[in-house]
Amino acid sequence: MALIALLLLPLVGGVIAFVVAGRGEAERWVSIATFALMLVMLFAIVAGAPDARWYARFEYPWVPSFGISIDLAIDGLSAALVGIAAVLGIICVTASWQEIRTDSGLFHACLCWTVGATVGVFISFDLLIFAFFWEAMLIPSFTLIAVWGHGDKEGAALKFLIFNAVAGFGLLAAAFALASMADHMTFNAFELAKMKLSTPVQVWMLLGFSLAFMVKLSVPPFHAWLPEAHTLAPTAGSILLAGLLLKTGAYGLFRFSPMLFPDGAMVVAPYGIALGAVGALYGGLVACGQNDAKRLVAYTSIAHMCIILMGICAGVQYALAGAAVEMIAHSFSASALFLLIGALYERTNTRDLRELGGLQQTAPRFAAAFSLFCAALLALPGTANFAGEALVVVGIFQVTWIFALAALSTLVISVIYATRLLKGLVFGVARPTDGTRDLGPREYGAVLVLAAGTLMVGLYPQSLIGLLEPAIKAALPHLP
Amino acid sequence: MNAAQLAALSPIAALACGAVLAMMLAPLARAEIVRAAAAFSLALAAMLVVLRAGVPPASIGALYVDDGPARFGVAYASLSALAALAFLRTGAVGKEAPSLLVLVALGAATLAAAGHAATLFLGIEIISLSLIALFAFRLSRPGLEASYKFLVMSGLATAALLLGVSLIFAETGALAFAGWRGHGALFALGTALLLAGLAFKFSLAPFHMWTPDAFEGAPAGAAALAGVVSKGAVAIAILRLNGAAQLPEPLWSTGLAALGAASILVGNLLALRQPALPRMLGYSTIAHSGYIAVLLASGAPRAGEAVLFYLAIYAPALIGALCASALLGQAPTLPDLHGLVRRRPLEAAALALALLSLAGLPAAGGFIAKLYLLRTLVETSGWTLLGIVVAGSGLGFYYYARFFTAPFIGSSSGEAEPLALPDRALLLLCAALIVLFGVAPDILINIATSALSLR
Repeated sequence: MALIALLLLPLVGGVIAFVVAGRGEAERWVSIATFALMLVMLFAIVAGAPDARWYARFEYPWVPSFGISIDLAIDGLSAALVGIAAVLGIICVTASWQEIRTDSGLFHACLCWTVGATVGVFISFDLLIFAFFWEAMLIPSFTLIAVWGHGDKEGAALKFLIFNAVAGFGLLAAAFALASMADHMTFNAFELAKMKLSTPVQVWMLLGFSLAFMVKLSVPPFHAWLPEAHTLAPTAGSILLAGLLLKTGAYGLFRFSPMLFPDGAMVVAPYGIALGAVGALYGGLVACGQNDAKRLVAYTSIAHMCIILMGICAGVQYALAGAAVEMIAHSFSASALFLLIGALYERTNTRDLRELGGLQQTAPRFAAAFSLFCAALLALPGTANFAGEALVVVGIFQVTWIFALAALSTLVISVIYATRLLKGLVFGVARPTDGTRDLGPREYGAVLVLAAGTLMVGLYPQSLIGLLEPAIKAALPHLP
Repeated sequence: MNAAQLAALSPIAALACGAVLAMMLAPLARAEIVRAAAAFSLALAAMLVVLRAGVPPASIGALYVDDGPARFGVAYASLSALAALAFLRTGAVGKEAPSLLVLVALGAATLAAAGHAATLFLGIEIISLSLIALFAFRLSRPGLEASYKFLVMSGLATAALLLGVSLIFAETGALAFAGWRGHGALFALGTALLLAGLAFKFSLAPFHMWTPDAFEGAPAGAAALAGVVSKGAVAIAILRLNGAAQLPEPLWSTGLAALGAASILVGNLLALRQPALPRMLGYSTIAHSGYIAVLLASGAPRAGEAVLFYLAIYAPALIGALCASALLGQAPTLPDLHGLVRRRPLEAAALALALLSLAGLPAAGGFIAKLYLLRTLVETSGWTLLGIVVAGSGLGFYYYARFFTAPFIGSSSGEAEPLALPDRALLLLCAALIVLFGVAPDILINIATSALSLR
């Protein structure tokens, strides 16, 4: 029951935010209260059964003739991602406090609904309900980009929607094919996992599922929607895209490919690692050549998602743990960078690295925050990203050294783009115009929360890995 | 004729009497009374069907079939026409419009119960002739254009249908569907012509040209009749043809599937950049015809159930969207929708839900309908069609989303007068049905399966 409440809370919160909009800042406070309440509920659920494999489960037959049941479960991995979703929700509200002044009721409703739908993705274990939320999250996030974005926002939103919706229908079709192979039609992932399918069938099914996951992860060549969508979206939209939506792809791959298709995953894994290696190099190199700060960070997201893909496909404990940690770490660092760049754009109306500079003189808090998260971007030890990426590289070394070298070289490339970002924004000569206003208390608070997360996981990764352990064990291939 | 047969024919009789009554009252009584008479006959017809739920089919002969799908069709046509009556605005001269509307329902009921070429033709012609008049009722230029296009294409389709039926008769010597079996060039040619004639009424590409014009130019109530009532009846007629006749294969099902696939692509692609809401709905209805045609052509064991389910889901969505569109004036565009939620929250919510359902998104009935479609195609291994359906649905997201968000942004321009009671009730009902079918689809699935089990 608690899980249903967790799911309904953002939905209802969004409606309330829409209704009360226009009275002072009511819609913003309602959204914050919604996300805060979600965090409280999440803590209650986790604290209720701290040692169980599943903290909570919920089952209710919805359309029996189709074998569809509402099947929710939450473990450490899901809980961590749901927690991130709620925290990023609050960050989004603070990040858009100044930026969004028109139709802010609908904006906050879309914010709540996007978060709600991703929460649905993270806790659903009925494949149909999973696909249901997978599609459902597209509409509010499409609206966020199409209505409050910049430039050719409609084109970017359209690209985002069509790429993901078509891939999502592929997921739905594959789920149907899988469900119809069971003795009696069922979409329950736990039931379907017990089925013994031949390896070729598993491979085909896995490819159907992976299409949706790869598009969401924006692994090249499925990445074409991401740079535009990230660059043209409002700040909160970019934060949600990078921090949450990309993670749904990683989560789906992490959770369902070893669970449903253990043999197929073994066959596909080497290709996945290769695709990830190529994608990570490509994303990193393209990022190096960008002058638009936001676009640069968008391309680094591609590189980092590819590292996660490599980690998942490697299928050894270190790599899987690394991939899981990197999911969380990237949520912190990419969101923080988008938040900072958004705030900078609000003040200077430009994101061009060649025009900006000298923040260390004019806006020290800006400069400090940028420095920290650029360090996270290049995975400096002490940041969460280091914990994630180092574990992935170590894990891949156990499997194949050649791709491990590729993963290592992406780390080298990350030094180039991170320092380029740092040099372009923080150092150098300040713009001839008068000094840029420094971060306000609201923005600074949001950045500090993300910084605390990055450093906590970075300095004491066991705090997170302990939580994720059962999910990582479940994702390990079961050797005969 | 015994009592059981009379009872089976009573809904049709109620509709026929209602049409005549409304026509006779038109010069004598006030407009409200004419509408009330029409509404009463439609409600009576639906009630007569519902009262006979579970009664075994009466055998009346080949002309009129009294099986489950036929009863479903009669009730569907009557109730949808009743809903369309609520927002059939035809201006001051429109006292005859309710009578024409009941005639469309009568034609649709006849078509849905047709087991014979004569009834098939009669049903299609009653629908077409009444719609020609209804489209032009307001005597505006777009209305006349829609009506004229429909008239010309309807004439062509009628000719094709008649020629097709006569060729089939020449080969098989039968006019009842059950006697249509055999193989031969004439039979094949006749079937192709029959398919073309039906595809016109079903607004399948490439026979779809009249649809967007009708949706834009004609009164919204008439568009609802064309998009919901007549389409549903044709779908049920094709369902019966599938079951009773043995039309030459693979011509029939491949042809139907190809027309369906073409409609999905054409409808969705042309809807992408339409600025006017009703015109967008016109193209979207072409796409939805395509989805239903693909279901009908699949030959899957549960395709019939899926078709009935799809129709029942589609009706409240399209009627709700058209009603909301009609309340905004003739052919409202995106800017007309801005700020609607502040002016008329109910209308904005009903429109949003309807578009959600048409797009096939969760929580609305359209999602389950799309599930049926995907499931049917996976079961019959129709992978090419599956690809087309997936691509079409993806495109659909875009244009539905554009209209979905418009009512929630921008500021409202001026005060709007409050909604009239029938409009308000209809919007509320459509929204409630969309959510009900989406959240508890088993109710509707049970109705569809029990209708199909009654053969």
